[in-house]
Amino acid sequence: MDDGKAVVDLVKQLVNRLLAAQPAPNSTESTTTAQSDHQQVLRYAVRILSSRMTPSIAADEAAMAESITRRLATQGNSSDALTFADLYSKFALKTGPGSVSNKWALLYLLKAISEDRKTHQKLAQSDSRVSSGMFKMSVPGGLPALFDSERNGSSNGISDISRRKLDKGRHDDNLRNLPVKETSEKGWSGGILMVSKENARDMAYREFANLLKEENEVSEEVIVRDVLYACQGIDGKYVRFDKVIDGYALPDTVKVPRATRVMVRKLCELGWLFRKVKGYISESMERFPAEEVGTVGQAFCAALQDELSEYYKLLAVLEAQSMNPIPLVSDSASSGNYLSLRRLSVWFAEPMVKMRLMAVLVDSCKVLRGGAMAGAIHMHAQHGDPLVHEFMKRLLRRVSSPLFEMVRSWVLEGELEDIFGEFFVLGQPVKAESLWREGYHLHTVMLPSFISQSLAHRILRTGKSINFLRVCCEDRSWADAATESAEAAGTTTRRGGLGYGETDALESLVTEAAKRIDKHLMDVMYTQYKFKEHCLAIKRYLLLGQGDFVQYLMDIVGPELSEPANTISSFKLAGLLESAIRSSNAQYDDFDILDRLRVKMMPHNTGDRGWDVFSLEYDARVPLNTVFTESVMAKYLRIFNFLWKLRRVEHALIGAWKMMKPNCITSHFFSKLPRAVKLQLTLTSRRCQVLWDEMNHFLTNLQYYIMFEVLEVSWSNFSNEMEVAKDLDDLLAAHEKYLHSIVEKSLLGERSQALYKTLFVLFDLILRFRSHADRLYEGISELRARSADPSLPARDKIKSGRHLSTKSSEPGSWLGEGRKALTQRAGEFLRNMGQDIDSISKEYSSLFGGFMSQLPVQQHIDLKFLMFRLDFTEFYSRVS
Amino acid sequence: MDSEAERTARESLELAFQMSNILDTGLDRHTLSILISLCDLGLNPEALAAVVKELRRETPTTTSISTTPSAP
Repeated sequence: MDDGKAVVDLVKQLVNRLLAAQPAPNSTESTTTAQSDHQQVLRYAVRILSSRMTPSIAADEAAMAESITRRLATQGNSSDALTFADLYSKFALKTGPGSVSNKWALLYLLKAISEDRKTHQKLAQSDSRVSSGMFKMSVPGGLPALFDSERNGSSNGISDISRRKLDKGRHDDNLRNLPVKETSEKGWSGGILMVSKENARDMAYREFANLLKEENEVSEEVIVRDVLYACQGIDGKYVRFDKVIDGYALPDTVKVPRATRVMVRKLCELGWLFRKVKGYISESMERFPAEEVGTVGQAFCAALQDELSEYYKLLAVLEAQSMNPIPLVSDSASSGNYLSLRRLSVWFAEPMVKMRLMAVLVDSCKVLRGGAMAGAIHMHAQHGDPLVHEFMKRLLRRVSSPLFEMVRSWVLEGELEDIFGEFFVLGQPVKAESLWREGYHLHTVMLPSFISQSLAHRILRTGKSINFLRVCCEDRSWADAATESAEAAGTTTRRGGLGYGETDALESLVTEAAKRIDKHLMDVMYTQYKFKEHCLAIKRYLLLGQGDFVQYLMDIVGPELSEPANTISSFKLAGLLESAIRSSNAQYDDFDILDRLRVKMMPHNTGDRGWDVFSLEYDARVPLNTVFTESVMAKYLRIFNFLWKLRRVEHALIGAWKMMKPNCITSHFFSKLPRAVKLQLTLTSRRCQVLWDEMNHFLTNLQYYIMFEVLEVSWSNFSNEMEVAKDLDDLLAAHEKYLHSIVEKSLLGERSQALYKTLFVLFDLILRFRSHADRLYEGISELRARSADPSLPARDKIKSGRHLSTKSSEPGSWLGEGRKALTQRAGEFLRNMGQDIDSISKEYSSLFGGFMSQLPVQQHIDLKFLMFRLDFTEFYSRVS
Repeated sequence: MDSEAERTARESLELAFQMSNILDTGLDRHTLSILISLCDLGLNPEALAAVVKELRRETPTTTSISTTPSAP
């Protein structure tokens, strides 16, 4: 009651103040009337207060402040609105004793008073109260005016109408954006009728609502649910997959406004993309047993399915949300469902991007497999947007893990586990000797673009080396090298050590493995298989480097080889070879090496001499025959033939000199001869000697050039390269270069064909010369023998006697004929010989001149040195 | 403590007065303070606003009210 007393007191005070504030028109009224008025007013006020005890709206402070601010803003006083908001925020912070506890009530009060004032002012301004009442702008939130007690009875009615309005608001979903309180001002004054006149705005709203109801056969809720189904590839009640337009859409039979139709179409793009991706996945799953889809394809499908499960999660959340309504400020208002088409479009933005990416990938990877697929996806991953980049990276990690696995096992173990043919290293079964060259090669189609060519080559070589070691060298210790390299690179030799995006790690692993395996291979080649020694042996024997051996061989084998080819037995030759080896320095060589040296008789025709078919060969076994293949050995054979011929000619010429060299016997004999004969003899023999000298000069220089400038120089280059060779490929290349340079420089190449032919003709000529010279000097010595004087000193006599004894069958014929006959015969003989030698000499000069003229044309720079040596006195160039 | 409450009360009143000025209610501080106390005591603000309105309108219809002595 204390409270009540306080209340009454306060009310009295309020009344006093308010009345006092009013400008009283007749202030001269008596106090008694003022008092009674006062009392009356007080009673009236109390009546009003007691008539309404509970407010008609919910007590929400913030909403109230919000609505006041909004009203201020809509009236155009934005600065006022801001100030009010500011004040309110300060006001709301004041709590505790001394502050206003019922802030909401205060705000509501202020609002109501201000609205009333406005209304009142407007009312006072208008001409006729009736008209103004009709067309009053409704200021929502204002209280219905209470004029009289009669009309007061309609206050309940008013609130009923206002309540009905609220109900209507509830039905129209589209009106939910409007302010909730739809109480309109139904001011009227003086009007008799109590009909609630609605204003234009309300009428408009109601018509709009009716129109919408007509247009929308289907409510938004149902459409939203259908769209959610469509995005999982399932046809909904209204949204179906239309094959004609290839997409999900509302069929035309359903009546919805165009905006909704377009919206649905846009949202269902997600559904179309989803269908595409899902179709690809299920197709791949079906094809898998047929082994058309490889491991990479499977990994791709698995990654896509993971992404799709994320997507499903999102859809499930959205579906759950679509059931809940949004919580709103006031209980009496409703808002419809949380999910509208617009909200869906916001939610779908990110999944749309991802799904689009997946669909693009699916399209581009439909026909690709293996490494090519990984490469294509990698190209798509070159994108600036971080979302796309992250997504692609995730996908690629999964997709390239089988590839990396294959690389790892190839590089560390030499195993090719590639059932579906997706790896970029292809192997084929070959014999052991061609394992290195042809066993494995790169398949560039399957090479993904994030692995560079050089890295791919290194990978190929490392695996090849391991296989080579395992098969050809029968070496097992490379496994240690493999584990070492794995440790050095920081990964393990087990599976799953690497992933995409770690191309550096892969590169370092491959580099380490390559380094170690290559070194190991080189070690094996050099130490276990003595590659260097074998090369040297080939040079010494096949390329006639071991001089004394060659000389001896020629001496022994020479007479044999002069026979026709088909009478020679290779068995005998083998024996001769043995003896040659044993009698030269070659006997101190390694037994293994000597074992491989053999005689080979090439296939011959009739008419061939042994010289043409004789050759040596060197037997290179696995693994050396990777380097010394059949073709390589054939090249060696050609070079050997050439060198052998050269040697033979040289040998012949030297043999001729043995006979030609001047000695006491012949000179003594010459002095005894008659003058004419002597002259002729001297001339002939001199001519012979000169020719011999020329030929010797040529041959010596040619021999020197071949042996030193060609063979030795190439060998030293090759030696140097062998030192620095890091792997078998390098070694093979170096050896190729070595052989090639020898072939080119010794005129055996294709460019020197003409020169080569000339050379051989020269050799033949030299051999003919040899036989002529032989005949000449035989004749001379025969002559000497026949004209032997008994006056010769005893020493000579013995010699001549020995000679005589062989010719004892005809002791008398010469002596009997006398000196004249002797001279005549000798002269004839000498003349013939002289002519022969002349012809040979001419032929030789012409041929040699031809040879010399062809030399400068040659490309090889070393041949110029040959020319220089042959012609250092410019004897030939001056003549020509 | 009391001074604290006093200060708070004064500041609250000040803020409320400024707010009412923005809203152009035409209330002065004293009246506003009475209204605040009445609200705090739990009276319906709608009713209070009605009272204010009626009493303000007293002037033009003072005569009509005075001529209707009966109360409902």
